[in-house]
Amino acid sequence: MTAPIVAEGLVRRFGDFVAVDGIDLAVDEGEIFGFLGPNGAGKSTTVRMLTTLLRPSAGRALVAGFDVVTQADEVRRSIGVALQDAAIDPLMTGNELLHLQATLHGISGSAAQLRSGELLERVGLVAAAGNRVATYSGGMRRRLDLAMSLIHEPSVLFLDEPTTGLDPTSRISLWEEVRRLNADGTTVFLTTQYLEEADELAERVAIIDGGRIVRAGAPAALKAAVGAPTLRLHIDEAHMALAVQTVCGRFGEQRPSREGVLAIGLEGGPSQLSAVLNALNDEGAVVDHVELASPSLDDVFADATGRRLEGAADDAAVAAEASAEGSGGGRRSRRSRR
Amino acid sequence: MTATTPTVAAQRDAARPRASTLVIAVALARRYAMGLVRIPATLAPTILMPMFFVLAFGGSFHGLTNMPGFPTDNILNWMAPFAALQGCAFAGFGAALYVARDIETGFQDRLLAAPTPPGAVMLGPVLYAAARALLPLAIVVPISMLGGARLQGGPLGLLTLTIAAVGVAVLASLWGLGVVYRLKSQSAGALVQIVITVSMFLSIGQVPLALMRGWLHAVARVNPVTPVLELARQGFLGPVTMQDTLPGLLVLVAAGAGLGLFAWRGYRRLIP
Amino acid sequence: MTTAVAVRGRSQGDAVAQTMVLARRSLLSTWRQPQTWIPAIVFPLLLAAVNSSAMSRAIHLPGFPEVDSFLQFLLPASLVQGVMFGGLFGGAALALDVESGFFERLVASPVHRSTIVIGRVAGATVLGGIQALVFVLVFLAFGSPIAGGVAAVLGLVLIGMVLALAIGAFAAGLGLRTGSQEAVQGMFPLAFILLFVSSAFFPTSQMSGAYRAIAENNPITWMIDGARELVITGFSFADLGVALAVAGAMSALSLRFALRQLDRRLAASA
Repeated sequence: MTAPIVAEGLVRRFGDFVAVDGIDLAVDEGEIFGFLGPNGAGKSTTVRMLTTLLRPSAGRALVAGFDVVTQADEVRRSIGVALQDAAIDPLMTGNELLHLQATLHGISGSAAQLRSGELLERVGLVAAAGNRVATYSGGMRRRLDLAMSLIHEPSVLFLDEPTTGLDPTSRISLWEEVRRLNADGTTVFLTTQYLEEADELAERVAIIDGGRIVRAGAPAALKAAVGAPTLRLHIDEAHMALAVQTVCGRFGEQRPSREGVLAIGLEGGPSQLSAVLNALNDEGAVVDHVELASPSLDDVFADATGRRLEGAADDAAVAAEASAEGSGGGRRSRRSRR
Repeated sequence: MTATTPTVAAQRDAARPRASTLVIAVALARRYAMGLVRIPATLAPTILMPMFFVLAFGGSFHGLTNMPGFPTDNILNWMAPFAALQGCAFAGFGAALYVARDIETGFQDRLLAAPTPPGAVMLGPVLYAAARALLPLAIVVPISMLGGARLQGGPLGLLTLTIAAVGVAVLASLWGLGVVYRLKSQSAGALVQIVITVSMFLSIGQVPLALMRGWLHAVARVNPVTPVLELARQGFLGPVTMQDTLPGLLVLVAAGAGLGLFAWRGYRRLIP
Repeated sequence: MTTAVAVRGRSQGDAVAQTMVLARRSLLSTWRQPQTWIPAIVFPLLLAAVNSSAMSRAIHLPGFPEVDSFLQFLLPASLVQGVMFGGLFGGAALALDVESGFFERLVASPVHRSTIVIGRVAGATVLGGIQALVFVLVFLAFGSPIAGGVAAVLGLVLIGMVLALAIGAFAAGLGLRTGSQEAVQGMFPLAFILLFVSSAFFPTSQMSGAYRAIAENNPITWMIDGARELVITGFSFADLGVALAVAGAMSALSLRFALRQLDRRLAASA
């Protein structure tokens, strides 16, 4: 069986810090595989090892059937890479960058020209191709990055957080492009911190936290395994403790949630909703807002780690804002770095 | 361990012809050149600095020619090659800075993840530095000729100057690359530049060895830059001789090998 | 991030207090960034060391001033060089304030407008004096006698301070006008050129042609020559006066420039 991506016991240490702590995975040919996790979980480190930019401290990985350490060159021929920061030279034009990438892969002259033209058309950058990248929007840069990674028609494509920082429209069009690529037979390894992205695109997902894979499988199966839908009750702080006492254990187990929100896995399903609300009403707890949602990948993450993935993304955003203002965001930013 | 064999697609990829080292190096060098030309703010000092050097050093230190034993009557004959080499060393430094920026922005990753032949990516900035060295030459030589400098050594003199110029640019770039590959940041530039500047000044830049006394004489005597400067200058001071050429050439080759190794080892470390 | 400036009121006495607080801030922030002042001290000293050794025999050239050593010849030049570079790099800090938005905070606080510039410039002036003293001491240690004695040393420190004021004010004005550190630091080559085409590194008597004409008419030359007399010949009020006059004139022009730029920027953001 020729699996395009295989990792066994992949480990990476930076001094005392273990960024990747024993990862096993196998991606099937023609699959879109999602690697989902919060910031700092080890996604990018794993991708860098798989794309020969970092040597594993221990373990082994084979990409396109070649060892990433001893056969790095062969691996590089077979992979397309679009990394997190869309490393694009702002002084060059789209055409020039594509041409450079073609040269790096040994594609020259008319073949390069032809291929560039095709790709530009595909990602919708024909008009902008002659302009310097400095004039491109974030979405355009990502598309160019994608085009560059495809110049040599690789069989395996690595996308590291491809839509981070993009507006919703750009995000959706990038998703469509990834699906099209996959339809043509390209195996896609995608890392993301957005569960919506993993849900939408990935046929199989591995959830990574603290350098380890905590859950892996098809998104639907993972969600079904969590079982009960999540009931979120927005409750006044004064009544929170009372509400917790009333509801938890009786109607289901408590799940991690934001401040001011009580979340439980509603064991009996939607039919229990009125019972819960009545119980709270009887105790005098005031409920501002109710949400009932079938399990999401966030719930899968919470089930596995005891924390929310969405919350981590939010915390990270808040911490980023706080540090940008120069005020103390210390406590929160420390929390989100996990 | 699941035994896997290369996929069909991978086999096709492996069978594709590779680009040659030179083609890739030239493509990268062109990219750096584009970077220089497209930002006027970097191009201006590149042209003005050697010009200033010749004029200022020539003008201020004109009186040195009156010292008994000074090898020429026209200070520009003496200063022009020094000014040119300063500009060339700066070219090497500039190449290393570009690479530092690539490393910081992540562009270098793009180059590392591509199946380039070994050395091609490192050769790019070095080629750029070598080509860029011709710029200070093209500025300094005509200006000093206008000021009265004469190439007594004829075309051979110009050749030895060019060899020294390109050599210095290459050496400076190799040194810079070695540092930048290891430190991986643009702030390493200060270290690169200080070493280059100090080496160039602790030599026979201002006065010939024979007219020096004291500690500088001792240092300049053993400084490898000294024979290279002599190699560069000889055409302006008299005919080209083996005696003035060979030591400089040897230094360029030996230093090239040493610094090349230094840079290469650093390059290998880019993938930790 | 810098600490808040706690100042209130608009009376005269307060203006002085505010100036001192801002001066102290400017001093401290410069001190804490060695990359701004180390080049201003190390580079000129290194250049002096190399040049004095390289051209040690040039002092015997006919027409060369009567010096003990080339090092002695270079002292005033190194001093001026150091103060100029230090002043530029330090002055770029006000550009940083504009860039970072700290300037807006100062303006919004009840601080006398002019103290924003004067405070920073006062800090630069003190630094200039310290720098001058450091140079004098280093040169003395390396065997460059100062004929004018203690009076000359004091005179040199004074020249350093006034020059630092001039450069600091100019850099501050430029920083206010452009709001860009890079633009201020871009003046460095210009300063270097100005210094070169003067009697700083070699006597103008040894130069020739147009270059000599320009150098002889460069006010920097008059300033350095005046300072040099204090070092080589002995103390004289006339020589000190010439040097101070040049530095003083530069200061006056620079301060006017800086304050005018301050007004412009305040008017623009009002």
